Amino acid sequence: MTALPEWLRPGARPTGSPRRGPGGHRLVRRALGAIARAAALLGADPRDSSGGFLRAANPRAKLLAAVGLTVVATLLRGVLPLGSCLTFTVALAPVARIPARRLLPVLAVALASAALMLPASLNVVSGGAPILTLWRPAGAALGPWRLPEFVAVTGDGLVVVGRMVVRTAVCASLATLLTATTQPQQLLGGLRSLGVPQAFVMVLAMTERYLAVLLQAARELHLARLARTVAAIGVRREEAWAGAGVGAMFRRTRGLAEGVTLAMVSRGFTGEVRLLRRARWRGRDWVLVAAAAAVAAGLLILDRGLA
Amino acid sequence: MSGTAGGAVFTVETVRFAYPDRPPCLDGVSFDVRRGERLALVGANGSGKSTLLHLLDGLYFPIGGRVAYLGTPLSEDALERAPFGPLFRQEVGFLFQNSDAQLFCPTVEDELAFGPLQAGWTQEDVLRRIEDTLALLEIGRLRGRAPAGLSAGEKKRVALASLLVLSPSVLLLDEPTAGLDPRSQSLLLEILEALHGRGLTLVTATHDLTLLPHLADRVIVLSEGHRIVADGEPEHVLGDTDLLLAVNLIHAHSHRHGRLVHSHPHQHVVAHGHEHDHDHDGHRGHDD
Repeated sequence: MTALPEWLRPGARPTGSPRRGPGGHRLVRRALGAIARAAALLGADPRDSSGGFLRAANPRAKLLAAVGLTVVATLLRGVLPLGSCLTFTVALAPVARIPARRLLPVLAVALASAALMLPASLNVVSGGAPILTLWRPAGAALGPWRLPEFVAVTGDGLVVVGRMVVRTAVCASLATLLTATTQPQQLLGGLRSLGVPQAFVMVLAMTERYLAVLLQAARELHLARLARTVAAIGVRREEAWAGAGVGAMFRRTRGLAEGVTLAMVSRGFTGEVRLLRRARWRGRDWVLVAAAAAVAAGLLILDRGLA
Repeated sequence: MSGTAGGAVFTVETVRFAYPDRPPCLDGVSFDVRRGERLALVGANGSGKSTLLHLLDGLYFPIGGRVAYLGTPLSEDALERAPFGPLFRQEVGFLFQNSDAQLFCPTVEDELAFGPLQAGWTQEDVLRRIEDTLALLEIGRLRGRAPAGLSAGEKKRVALASLLVLSPSVLLLDEPTAGLDPRSQSLLLEILEALHGRGLTLVTATHDLTLLPHLADRVIVLSEGHRIVADGEPEHVLGDTDLLLAVNLIHAHSHRHGRLVHSHPHQHVVAHGHEHDHDHDGHRGHDD
């Protein structure tokens, strides 16, 4: 018989009790919520949800329209044409019956790009007439380098930042519209039929599958953490745990991702995405592509006209 | 691609295999798999039986020795060449232990279509085969479902269906009943029995000895030293208690019978009961 230690019986615990309850684990709960939302987005089946003309359109037509508008957005320079382009893409979401919350990541992407681009708003990067002076080093030097007379936000700098942020938001909105209305396999098949190299599509296919595996592992890890939570710990220890958790999660998912790859190879996968039901090209797909081309041309004319 | 009736489907010759920076997990393993036979590879955890299945499926390649399918050595080059590579992938199906790894498509229908589409079948043929396979495994209602949301038993059936749809002649099964409830387990064993009746060659890796009477005509035992220590009929292998103890497939299990404590060889399986027919101190039998 296995000899159990004396302390291993119900209620035999050292004296003392936690000062705080487990309710303080907001980080874990927030992470779980975010994972659940991401998993729901990834696992959503665009074919049978709420209809809409974009869901019914051929993936190739959608890809052509999205790629065309993305290229045009990168060419536009005027604030008005760029703003019109963003308004158009965002307005497409309700028309295509895509819930507004699906566009929230676009806002996050725009804010992140704004944060990254902030230095471009300064006179030392973009030049231009100052609007708001932030600092006057007054001829001071940093070693061998002379500092500028002043550091200020300029009008030209703000235009550069605004242009980049809007372009990023347009691209993110188009990507969201595309992925929210197209099943991943159909999207990958569409990319292949438009001539995107097989190796690139294969990497995308593997990435898409790996994301699902990663989310599942993250959810299990966080649930296990929550189940063993006795009392709240400090923010630093919480952060340390989160860092260690990410490492553990990657180790776990690497094994599963390798299993998925082997299972695909075992069933004859050679890197080519093949679809059981290839979407047919219909009249409405021509309409979609023509409409996108018309919008793109209109925006370019407006931009050049204003220039 | 067809082999001689009763001839060797797989030939494994002094195979050595090691994962990078690890000691060998297979060390000089040799055996044949004959057409139509039911072979079980048994051994404790880490003995190398799953790795051996990966080698038989041409997913890993040995660092020494060779594995051949119908006389053709399995190598990356051979498996990339037509017609051998595509035909091998159609003829040999591998049921992974982890169904979550095996099921990677958005729906059950796509899952079943994956292999046939890779093989270049027409849409009409693929749809007909899917229909028949779903009916065979009684999973027609799952057709439009996402595999990730299925129960363990359903996942296992879908994974098996994704192999059967290609009409394989060999099935490699890695712990096929692990994690299944008794009904799903029994259904899976019935299906495998029927498939064997149709002439399929079954190679099963397991450490569950209770499966052997259902899944094997021949048993190969791998030791914790990663070598073959026995190759014979299930009754012969199961009857060798010393061997099973030595390879860690059974262990000495202690019981208390009234005031007496005694030990006897025992294997742990999920949720089972058995009776002891020995008598100690007036007690006769109990469930374990």
